Amino acid sequence: MDFFRHRNLISVALIGAAALTLTGLARPVHAADDSGSKTTLSISAKAPVNTMDSSLNTDAYGAQSLNNTMEGLYRFTGQKLKPAIAKQIAAPTNDGKRYTIDLKKTKWSNGDPVTAHDFVYAWQRMVDPKTASQYAYIYSGIKNADAIAAGKKKPSELGIKALGPYKLQIDLDHPIPFFDTLMSSSQFYPLNQKVVEKLGDQYGLSSKGMVFNGPYKLKNWKVGDTEWTDVKNDSYWNAKHVQLHKIKYYYIADPNTGLNLYDTNVLDRYQDLSGDTARQLANSKQFKTDPSNSTSYLELNQKKIPALKNAKLRQAMALTINRNDLSNIILGKTGLPAHSLVPSKMSKNPETGQDFTNDPQAVADRKYTAYNPTKAKKLWQEGMKETGQKELKLTFTADNLDTTKKMAEYIQNNMENDLPGLKLTISTVPFKTRLQRQTSGEFDMVTSAWNADYPDPTNFLDLMTTGNSQNNGKWSNKAFDQQEKAATTTNANDPMARWQNMQTAQHILTQQQGIIPLYQYSTASVTKPGIHGFQVTPTGQYDMGAIYKK
Amino acid sequence: MTKYILKRIFYLFLTLLIIASITFFMMKGLPGTPYTNQAKMSPDQLKMMNHKYGFDKPLYVQYFIYLGNLLHGDLGTSFQFNNQPVTQLIGDHIGPSIQLGLQAMVLGTILGIILGSIAAIRKNTWVDALATIVSILGLSIPSFVLAILLQYYLGYKLQLFPVALWHGFSSSVLPTLALAAFPLASIARYMRTEMVDVLHSDYIELAKAKGDTSRQVIIKHALRNSLIPIITVVGPMAVSIMTGSMVVESIFSIPGIGNQFVQSILTNDYPTIMGLTIFYSVLMVSIILIVDILYGIIDPRIRLGKGGKA
Repeated sequence: MDFFRHRNLISVALIGAAALTLTGLARPVHAADDSGSKTTLSISAKAPVNTMDSSLNTDAYGAQSLNNTMEGLYRFTGQKLKPAIAKQIAAPTNDGKRYTIDLKKTKWSNGDPVTAHDFVYAWQRMVDPKTASQYAYIYSGIKNADAIAAGKKKPSELGIKALGPYKLQIDLDHPIPFFDTLMSSSQFYPLNQKVVEKLGDQYGLSSKGMVFNGPYKLKNWKVGDTEWTDVKNDSYWNAKHVQLHKIKYYYIADPNTGLNLYDTNVLDRYQDLSGDTARQLANSKQFKTDPSNSTSYLELNQKKIPALKNAKLRQAMALTINRNDLSNIILGKTGLPAHSLVPSKMSKNPETGQDFTNDPQAVADRKYTAYNPTKAKKLWQEGMKETGQKELKLTFTADNLDTTKKMAEYIQNNMENDLPGLKLTISTVPFKTRLQRQTSGEFDMVTSAWNADYPDPTNFLDLMTTGNSQNNGKWSNKAFDQQEKAATTTNANDPMARWQNMQTAQHILTQQQGIIPLYQYSTASVTKPGIHGFQVTPTGQYDMGAIYKK
Repeated sequence: MTKYILKRIFYLFLTLLIIASITFFMMKGLPGTPYTNQAKMSPDQLKMMNHKYGFDKPLYVQYFIYLGNLLHGDLGTSFQFNNQPVTQLIGDHIGPSIQLGLQAMVLGTILGIILGSIAAIRKNTWVDALATIVSILGLSIPSFVLAILLQYYLGYKLQLFPVALWHGFSSSVLPTLALAAFPLASIARYMRTEMVDVLHSDYIELAKAKGDTSRQVIIKHALRNSLIPIITVVGPMAVSIMTGSMVVESIFSIPGIGNQFVQSILTNDYPTIMGLTIFYSVLMVSIILIVDILYGIIDPRIRLGKGGKA
């Protein structure tokens, strides 16, 4: 077998040669071709864009892509709402029920003018049951929207009409105090009817044939793509203020991959960090978090477990959680301690500009969520006595994500230690299962979350009104309901009275711990030095037209 | 032979029908709906949407509608990727998955045969021991762990290959290596066992006695005869690599079909789940059919229906 000794060596040599050849062939893409360029930005995305049809999109990633490429009546830059296609931010007339908006003369990327008709067409299409938009409900309050969505009226009866090519009239069923901010969202963008009808059911599935009126144009994209590119739109009315010429998005599912790409300069910014990756980077100078309008909280099922109707028991449970530890240690700074259902940095006092969560009443109410095991034990014992309980065994349902599991264990440990007689059994399930159990009431205690559709406290407070389909724990309080109702009806046109209604409602909910707030979600990211302008808007997007590299 | 092939094709369709049926009912048992905005939709709107997509019909009606559409080659449209036909989704993303699967299979098979042969020829030496260790490692280390290690050391640390993304051939090297480890190890084990047996056969002794050189004995007799059983494992292994590549695709951010499969399950995208399951099943049963037919041709004793022996 002498030959095979040589053959053996030959084989090894061949393998080695093959490996070297492969290595030689491989020209590592350690940096994107034009990374380092002052006008190109490479950025990660946690999900691909599922549709570019503004009537059908339902997720934040699609909304960001629409925000980059389309322009509505108004646009948020950071916290500031500015006129976009509208000449100015129009004040309502007729007791807050009619808006007349003058439009700038702007263009689509194919040269067509953006007219009032484009808004009328888009809005009517949105509420048309044939479109089957999952977001049609957000038009509720615009004249006839609910009846049209229910198939009882024609889309042409929606309260929007073109008074001319550049003048728009909008009628509401009742005043909507946050209507300006709503109109900046992607669901209210205009559509070029000619283009939409030409592409038919293929509209929004690929960039081919689409037209854009925003800062960027989407190029060579189709649904399911894991990479896509926005290029500067020279037809954009405000193009001179857009400094980046190109934004390259990469869908990265694995956090380690994202970090490796960031470290090898393929990515200028890696965002949507969570769990271990966030904990690992939390002390980096390039690490930053932007609070978003989402709150995570616990719901207690008062219908299934009558003892949980006792406010002292709920208050005691809330006092066992150290929200600073939860945010910093368990969540790796990707969440801010939440003391109320309404998130911070979302809404401001119309007179003083004070944040909703920093109002004196809200600050005083933090005592209901400040970590206090001694007080918790006392309240718990009183509550148990009042309800005639010796022990309470609850199943704690949570998502089966790494971070959520850790959070559930942390809460279980704290509550069981501080509250004698309480036994929590954790049940971690996939997101959809958790949602289904919540909706059908098959839970004792569950982690829940709400992401704002529009930046107004009522978007959160409404959830807890009696009979609301999202009020899964069935907490009910008449005074709370009255305050909420007044804020959305009788006082809708009186900003300060409305503000007071919402503050009072928030106080009742917090004092009663109708839900137990946990934390406010944040978008965590690492960004290379010299890149500026990332400011989250109250709608949870970034105005990418404002980003620049130095 | 024709009867044998027709019978096999009948079983192929029967298998597909069973797989499609089981998947359909299991999928419908998943909690939740395919609507991404389900939590925010009103009960009325949910009802309207269910009506639009036919989810308000009895389950058996939905099942027969699905089968009817399937017979016409219609896999439906994706929920996650709004209105995108599932067939187009598969068509758009199958390229990278096939490329990776083929590369991994070719690399794994060739290296596996070489490694197994060397181990058999140099039985009970350090070379054999080393080959065994390599095989055990290849079989026991999950491809995603290997993928992470390769990405970190060869991509990030040594910067020999791209860390991730799909930009030309170089992007496929690391995922190919990660995926090739299992077939390499598996085939090496098969090959070693077969070749050890063959090397102890009478005809090898005869060939040696006739004065054939070692080289001639191995190439002409041992290698060729040892390769026959490998045919059995290579086909299904190729499909399992493609189906198993989803995690590796995710790690390397490759726009393949595996990624789509994972996403479709997480989002209850019923048509995509069904479409991809059926697609993978067709691949698997087709390869099994080809292997069966090849065996039937090679060895007539294997054909079913001949004296009832299978």
